[in-house]
Amino acid sequence: MSTETTVCTIGAYHRPATLDDALRILRDVPGARPVAGGTDLLVHVRDGREGAPPALVSLRRVPELCGVTIEDGAVTIGALTTMSDIVADAELARLLPAVHVAAADFGGVQIRNAATIGGNLVNASPCANLPPALLVHGASVVLRALGGVRTVDLRDFIVGPGETCLRDGEVLAAVTIPRPLGGLRSTFRRTVRVAMDMALVSVAAAVAMDGGTIGAVRVAAGAVAPTPRRLAEVEELLRGAVPDEGLLRRAGELAAAGVAPISDVRASESYRRHMTGVHVRRALAELTAGGVDGDA
Amino acid sequence: METREDAAVPLSFELNGETVAVRAAPAARLLDVLRGPCGRTGTKEGCGEGECGACSVLVDGRVVNACLYAALDVEGCRVTTIEGLHDGAGGPSALQRAFVTLGGTQCGFCTPGMIVAAEALLAANPDPAADDIRGALRGNLCRCTGYVQIVEAVRSAAAARRAGADAARAAAGAPS
Ligand SMILES: Cc1cc2nc3c(=O)[nH]c(=O)nc-3n(C[C@H](O)[C@H](O)[C@H](O)COP(=O)(O)OP(=O)(O)OC[C@H]3O[C@@H](n4cnc5c(N)ncnc54)[C@H](O)[C@@H]3O)c2cc1C
Ligand code: FES
Ligand code: FES
Repeated sequence: MSTETTVCTIGAYHRPATLDDALRILRDVPGARPVAGGTDLLVHVRDGREGAPPALVSLRRVPELCGVTIEDGAVTIGALTTMSDIVADAELARLLPAVHVAAADFGGVQIRNAATIGGNLVNASPCANLPPALLVHGASVVLRALGGVRTVDLRDFIVGPGETCLRDGEVLAAVTIPRPLGGLRSTFRRTVRVAMDMALVSVAAAVAMDGGTIGAVRVAAGAVAPTPRRLAEVEELLRGAVPDEGLLRRAGELAAAGVAPISDVRASESYRRHMTGVHVRRALAELTAGGVDGDA
Repeated sequence: METREDAAVPLSFELNGETVAVRAAPAARLLDVLRGPCGRTGTKEGCGEGECGACSVLVDGRVVNACLYAALDVEGCRVTTIEGLHDGAGGPSALQRAFVTLGGTQCGFCTPGMIVAAEALLAANPDPAADDIRGALRGNLCRCTGYVQIVEAVRSAAAARRAGADAARAAAGAPS
């Protein structure tokens, strides 16, 4: 009796036990692709968005890519860390609230148990949750190849929809986040059409107050441009200003005017623009109002 | 669809407490291996894309979609399917009984996945609020029941399990 089952024509499935083995297979096997949780790659291969790679290299058993370390407030998150791992880590929730919320407001538990931070970044969807949240914490990615390692600012890593600066034979090994400034607070908000959907609009913000004025500030948006990006004009407006209602309204208007969303079957360009402004205003209200919720 | 018998490799894991050894192709999903060579058809395929949860199983205690899990990744792992969730004597579990008596199942297609996901919830949180239950089952779609009865069934089963655990503790603590 035949016991094989095949759904598409992936030729080989490698399960290396060390990072060097993984990198060697990626170098030596033509067309080999890394796979982590598979929640993007296996869906894309199945629905035909991507051709079946001749070989997959499972990163699940590579110990060098697993685990979270925190040293003096600086955080290193291994590429294989799942959304559920992030959500369950109380120290991450305290240091990086936006990342915690972005990982929690993500698919269902089955997806969160499989989806990895590395896959979320390398997949480079404009709608992905983690990029805006990581951007407001100044994250970088550590890329490893055989005999080489480089660190790239997340702003430079995602270069287009589905496109990163990852080279053939390279894997994303970890995400690093510098120690947050004292008093830094951050948050993440998004609009989805139905449960289990990707974001129509997402916004993350981080603020450290300096007395009554805004000291350090970062604002980022997802799903409203070809890549997730920081909103420099908005940050400029806010830096050093007193966060009254007028300022937050203007910040929202500036954000809405500054993004470049598309219209598609899920939502119109003008709705996405409008919601970007709303999320920016509410996120800032939440972060500058001493814990008062900005949803009113 | 092309099959690649030549590329299939041995795969061994623990399924519902028993060690199984099968062969799996590089592209095989855990779902294919469970329903095919393992002959466990309780795990269902709805969407095949991670959206519906009909294929929910536990891998080392964590609930995942078997339609998005590469079969070869479960080498050496502990896999639990709906067939492995019973009362210990082969009868229906508290969750299974509650789904039946409280109308949490109609056509039944979503039910194995619902019960596996609910099992994972109750293992982590023995006394979940209705919102916790809705959150834990967000990845499981049901076209029939409208979810109210499902949430009720999970609450009722949770209470029954807590009562059972209390009784077991009392029995264990009683002087012999
Ligand atoms: C039902 C459903 C709901 C979803 N909901 C959300 C959501 O709410 N928000 C959201 O942002 N996303 C969502 N997603 C998308 C997906 O789950 C995420 O993008 C996830 O983080 C991808 O991670 P993964 O480990 O599964 O990636 P994989 O599918 O394993 O890989 C994705 C891509 O990254 C590459 N890759 C993976 N890891 C590495 C690495 N370490 N180095 C180099 N390359 C690598 C792979 O080759 C592939 O190209 C959803 C998906 C589904 C199916
Ligand atoms: S069949 Fe796996 S989630 Fe629908
Ligand atoms: S009982 Fe029919 S889909 Fe849930």
